[in-house]
Amino acid sequence: MRIGLEIHVQLPTRSKMFCSCPTDGGPPNSAVCPTCLGMPGSRPTLNRAALEMGLRLAKLFDCQVPERTWFARKTYFYPDLAKHYQVTQHDNPVGEHGAFDFRGKEVRIRRVHLEEDPGSIRRAGRPGEELSLVDYNRSGMPLVEIVTEPDLSSPAEARQFLSDMLTEIRHTIGLSGEGEQTVRADCNISVGEERVEVKNVTGLKNMERALKYEAVRQTKMLRSRRPVLRETRRYDEERKVTVAVRKKEFEEDYGYIGEPDLGVFHIRAMAEELENKETPLERARRLELQYGLAESTARQLVNTSMRLCDLFERMAADLGAKVALNVTGQVSGPWFHVKDSFDQSMEDAVFEAAEEFWRDGITDSELTIRLSKILGTHVTVEETLGLDVEDSSVKDRIGLNEAVEKAVEENPGIFEDYAKNERAANRLIGEVKKSTGGTFSSQEIVAAVKARLSQGP
Amino acid sequence: MDSETVRRVALLARLELSEEEIESYSKDLSEILDHFSLLDELEGLEDYGFNPVEVADVLRDDEPGQDIPAEDLMKDMDTYQDYVRGPRLS
Amino acid sequence: MNASRLEAIRELDRDYGMFYSLSEDAALESAEFHFSAKDNLTTVDHETTAGSRMLSGWRPPFDAAAVESLRGAGGALLGKTSMDEFGFGTFSVNSAFAVPRNPHDRERSCGGSSGGAACAAALIDGHISLGVSTGGSVSCPAAFCGVVGFTPTYGRVSRHGLLDYGSSLDKVGMLSADCASIAERFPLMAGPDRRDPTSCGHPEHSERSAARTVGVPKQSLQGIPEDVLAVFNEALEVVRGDMGLDVVEVDIPVFNYAQPAYYIIATSEASTNLARYGGMRYGARGEDLDTHFDRYFRQVRSAGFGGEAKRRILLGTFTRMVGYRDRYYLKALQVRQALIAEYRRAFASCDLLLAPTMPFVAPRFDEVEAMSPLEIYLADHLTIPPNLAGMPHISLPCGELDGMPLGMQFTADHWHEDRLLKAGVEWDRRSEYPVPEARA
Repeated sequence: MRIGLEIHVQLPTRSKMFCSCPTDGGPPNSAVCPTCLGMPGSRPTLNRAALEMGLRLAKLFDCQVPERTWFARKTYFYPDLAKHYQVTQHDNPVGEHGAFDFRGKEVRIRRVHLEEDPGSIRRAGRPGEELSLVDYNRSGMPLVEIVTEPDLSSPAEARQFLSDMLTEIRHTIGLSGEGEQTVRADCNISVGEERVEVKNVTGLKNMERALKYEAVRQTKMLRSRRPVLRETRRYDEERKVTVAVRKKEFEEDYGYIGEPDLGVFHIRAMAEELENKETPLERARRLELQYGLAESTARQLVNTSMRLCDLFERMAADLGAKVALNVTGQVSGPWFHVKDSFDQSMEDAVFEAAEEFWRDGITDSELTIRLSKILGTHVTVEETLGLDVEDSSVKDRIGLNEAVEKAVEENPGIFEDYAKNERAANRLIGEVKKSTGGTFSSQEIVAAVKARLSQGP
Repeated sequence: MDSETVRRVALLARLELSEEEIESYSKDLSEILDHFSLLDELEGLEDYGFNPVEVADVLRDDEPGQDIPAEDLMKDMDTYQDYVRGPRLS
Repeated sequence: MNASRLEAIRELDRDYGMFYSLSEDAALESAEFHFSAKDNLTTVDHETTAGSRMLSGWRPPFDAAAVESLRGAGGALLGKTSMDEFGFGTFSVNSAFAVPRNPHDRERSCGGSSGGAACAAALIDGHISLGVSTGGSVSCPAAFCGVVGFTPTYGRVSRHGLLDYGSSLDKVGMLSADCASIAERFPLMAGPDRRDPTSCGHPEHSERSAARTVGVPKQSLQGIPEDVLAVFNEALEVVRGDMGLDVVEVDIPVFNYAQPAYYIIATSEASTNLARYGGMRYGARGEDLDTHFDRYFRQVRSAGFGGEAKRRILLGTFTRMVGYRDRYYLKALQVRQALIAEYRRAFASCDLLLAPTMPFVAPRFDEVEAMSPLEIYLADHLTIPPNLAGMPHISLPCGELDGMPLGMQFTADHWHEDRLLKAGVEWDRRSEYPVPEARA
């Protein structure tokens, strides 16, 4: 099975790609100007931040960056496309021929290019004959498209790959966590000879589901010796199936031409000036090598926070990895709640406590108390979850959550299994049922287990 | 350009042409394209650019702003609940 | 401008059709000077249609940069001048609205596509017309109407607010009865504008020494009728004698390939620029939105565009299609680059180039009617090369033939407008320009 992805990520700029309209939305058609409405006489101007983010990503994926880049007009007619051409890149995109080291496997990156998003459409009217209602707030939003070679070999691998890639992208261009839900992908998948493209799938989960569905469908077709058609399909999120996109009355020809309104950009020189910081996964690999951390520990650490990694490394350098890991572990528990107030003085205080512990000045439990005082929190489950401990139903739930947590600890591979197949949750559900002995309903247990599993390790 | 090609190009360009128009455009455009084949004489050219003068590295800072209030831009448009009304999708 | 003069202009407009719309008098009273804008430049106080039914009734929300800068310097907009639809033509007859008539003979064309602009420059005293040239749309009507038509380097004047024809070719220019008025007002609108990146690449406007050597490309004299050539040669003698310039022959072989390369680039770009007209946000609307979008766009576009616009959209869509793109579009870009290189070589041995502007005087409307599209495209072969290469150029009246004006065209290297304007002002002093009988 061969899977290739075309991934679209919206770049976190403050203004749009080719005009100064704000990117933070608002009521329909409030963040618009002549340029993103495609008005006659208007023209584009390129946002420096968008170009730089594109270059950072090209560098992240070790792409060849050409000396000069330019934009192209891709012409097609659709009600959400203001100019009836999209400003995108065709020849000489910001990056080509790169690669991404996916857990030791090289996945080739064919190209990285920048383009504008069209507007968005609200459908109105009877199904099958809907009128389009267009909101141009999204028109001109900056997108990066990353195209991989078909180097992925299963839907689960594709999901993990994309998840890893997003971790790196997020860090490199400062994308918030929500980026993960809004990532859009076109997925190419071929079980046999013919390639099927599933267009415009939103989010990691849907992508894996769409690919799984398609893998099964193509396998069945091949087994019964029916031909798999080379076609474009879409994923129906409600019915969880892929469906063939109805053929147009004629085939579109985008007729790419160079965009004369923007000129050219000397990007190799620009790219050389840009220094990408060490990415989370690069750092995890380094932590493994440098401090002998387990792969899962290192990943968990970088996924929690790069700031926390800084603390870990500071302690590890002076006090050794063992103490550093112990203390970091205790700080990472309530990290979600303290991260915004975690300043330099708090860090120094933590470091001091760790140092005393290292000199045997304080015991293990004294350290724990010291840390919870510094962090201004009792490191307990209820505090972590932000619950009112006086409420008896909450107390019960804490009991349930503790049981779930225990089951998770006893099943180290559970998250990976769950990512491959959600039925892996049943194993935990069974164990929690047993350990809590009928205190909670099945529904409550299922909900708690699923909630915990979806949080990740 | 034969009439089949004119038909195909007209579809791409979203133009509706009568049979008469197809005939006459086919004739004009064939003549014009024949003349364009003059360019085939020039060989070995490699350099090209998208502007006749150097336009390079003109970038805008990432500062949001709108010169014209959106309401002024939208006031003559056919809208429904602030959305621009468009044709059917299917 | 008082009411009686404005009424006289209105009277002229009824006879000559040079305006699409005229301003009301109130605003014009206290102005320092008056100007008109070709109707493909946006104006907040006038409809802007580019001669197309597609934009009938459209009131833009902003002024074009060139209009804005002339207004800013105390100029008042007298009106919007008629033109070929989106600039698609050589005779200003491809308009959904009034066709301007030649100020020297109403049965003849003004030339195009800035026909109304040239006509207004000829008929209105002290008037400045903003024109736009893609492939010769300022020079051609200037020559036919006996006025001065100046086209600066590509990018010298911001295209903000210009309704695009060919985005890598369009240039805002000026037409007037003499070059001195243009030289005075041109600096107002020259310079970078952050709203148009292509206007941000040029060096500061600086003064250069006056031209000493003029080159005549031998390719530009090939196939010019004897009587036209005779008038041009007389003018050339004045350039050599009175103006004291050295005249040399230069060889620019790629000249002969400029015309097809130009039409390919221009229509490829135009067919994308005109894609936006689909009856949703401005201009013409379709009858019924309850129609599949492909059909809706087809209906709106077929009803809104004229015959020549459709021809150029078809041509430009074809030349960038898969399978033809390399042969036509890409090749044309290469030819343009080669032409620029040859111009550079020519400008190593001379400061300006000189050639006739058009190979004939303004034709009668019945003669235009009889021309095939290819014949019309070929008529531009002298104005196209500098336009394709983005070189600044100026057409100056240089004599008459059968009572109709003829023009000659100086071309300078990129950014050397000052040399052109100096030569033009010199020429103003040494020649008598044709004056039409009707004036206001």
